[in-house]
Amino acid sequence: MTAPVAIRCEDLGKRFDDAWVLRGVDLEVRRGEVLGVIGPGGHGKSVLLKCLAGLLTPDAGRVLVDGEDLARLGPLGLARVREQYGYVFQNYALFDFMSVRDNVAFPLRQQAHLPDAEIDARVAARLAEVGLAHALDLLPRELSGGMKKRVGLARATVGDPAIALYDDPSAGLDPVTSSKIFQLIARMHARRPDAATVVVSHDVDRMRAICDRYVMLERGRVVFVGAESALGDAPEVVAAFFGGAERAPTGGG
Amino acid sequence: MRRLLMAPLSSVGRSALGLAETIGGATLLFGRILRALIPPRFDRDETWRQLYGVGVKSYAIVVVTALFVGAIMVIQTAFYVRRTGATSLLGYGVGFTVFAEIGPILIGLMFSGRVGANTTAELGTMVVTEQVDALRALAIDPIRYLVVPRFVAMMIMMGLLMVLGDGFAIIGATLTADTLIGVDPSVLISSLLESHLLDEYLLGLGKALCFGVSISVLSCWFGLGVRGGATGVGRAVNNSVVANAAAIFFIDFVVGWLFPVGL
Ligand SMILES: Nc1ncnc2c1ncn2[C@@H]1O[C@H](COP(=O)(O)OP(=O)(O)OP(=O)(O)O)[C@@H](O)[C@H]1O
Ligand SMILES: [Mg+2]
Repeated sequence: MTAPVAIRCEDLGKRFDDAWVLRGVDLEVRRGEVLGVIGPGGHGKSVLLKCLAGLLTPDAGRVLVDGEDLARLGPLGLARVREQYGYVFQNYALFDFMSVRDNVAFPLRQQAHLPDAEIDARVAARLAEVGLAHALDLLPRELSGGMKKRVGLARATVGDPAIALYDDPSAGLDPVTSSKIFQLIARMHARRPDAATVVVSHDVDRMRAICDRYVMLERGRVVFVGAESALGDAPEVVAAFFGGAERAPTGGG
Repeated sequence: MRRLLMAPLSSVGRSALGLAETIGGATLLFGRILRALIPPRFDRDETWRQLYGVGVKSYAIVVVTALFVGAIMVIQTAFYVRRTGATSLLGYGVGFTVFAEIGPILIGLMFSGRVGANTTAELGTMVVTEQVDALRALAIDPIRYLVVPRFVAMMIMMGLLMVLGDGFAIIGATLTADTLIGVDPSVLISSLLESHLLDEYLLGLGKALCFGVSISVLSCWFGLGVRGGATGVGRAVNNSVVANAAAIFFIDFVVGWLFPVGL
């Protein structure tokens, strides 16, 4: 594996007040790979993802994107780095004053200076892909949780990002839609062979189909990094997580 | 005993720290807004949307407030006017107090209660629902996209509403004078026009613009600073309303001191 490293965490630590939520996290996400992040609920997965996007500033260590330390970039540098990102938030984070169509079109309107017709076509195509072709003109408050999740996914992926971060993309979705979402992530990834993708999920079975490597977080520490084939050397907790979804602890947010 | 004595002191200390934090934070935010304005780099569509929203939210309350302000000024002076028969001074009296002082303050307060509180709640909700993070993740500066359009819209609207409010205050005064003390509208209007209140009028307009700055900066600052869910939003709205009112009185005092008109 000699693909370039897109994101590197070095001794990353994050705390809220006095509680350390992440401690000593060393991690690499390479271009072209899908990294799965697993772990019990409330043990720092979402916080890690936000640190990777520079939405939270580390209290220890650093996060490098293409070799540049996020904390040392000015606002313009940070904006330039973030133009590569697509981020699916665990709690949707849809713009509640915009229709579904405008939410998904937003990244294209702001970043890529495309003609309106092209934007409309792309938005419609991406929403059809997540099964929401009929919901174009609805407002976020008129959607179910699962629909919001899919709009969030469409918004994050409409610009074909080079770094895609998915925070629990299938939470609250029925099994059929969940499978479709994971297929979509795989398709997105296939479309951009240089993309670095990170998927946080509890859905280990579906992750198997797309993830090249996994990271498991427990109490803010990395307890396992590697492919599933390396599980033999992994601690008991990790094996339990992969062993069966029914035994794995799942979080409530 | 010691603790009993220290408790009020430490609470004073905390308030002072909070005040310093608000003033410092709001000033920094103001600086960032100015940097985004010169040269102008902010979202035009969002600015139009805000202009429309701010105008729709506030014009009715301003019209009603202004009508009553004019009416109240007449009621307050009716006694002296009746006593002295100085009906020719009525227009001057009303114009002087409304244009320079009462008009801007009351309209500023209504505006901050309506638009300022709304802005804090809106931005605060965007923070707790991670919409602000979503903007940042899309490489969009929340200051440029959310704050500057609101700042521009509130400035422009405070100016326009002040002109509108002055007009309706005069209408309120004229109607009240006519019905309450039988002063003919033409008498009041000509007294107003003859008293050359342009300085007062412009001073009031200047104050209104200053209030537009303080209301937009403070309410955005409190909104973006929200921590911790719906209760956090409630607390921020509360603080924002109080801070806005205090700032309005403070600015009114300072501007009145720097530009003493009519003396
Ligand atoms: N803004 C915040 N302020 C204070 N504490 C926070 C904040 N965000 C997260 N935490 C804390 O950090 C810890 C990790 O949270 P995080 O959201 O990363 O969990 P998670 O692994 O994503 O859980 P889940 O699987 O349920 O989504 C939690 O204990 C949470 O209480
Ligand atoms: Mg999470």
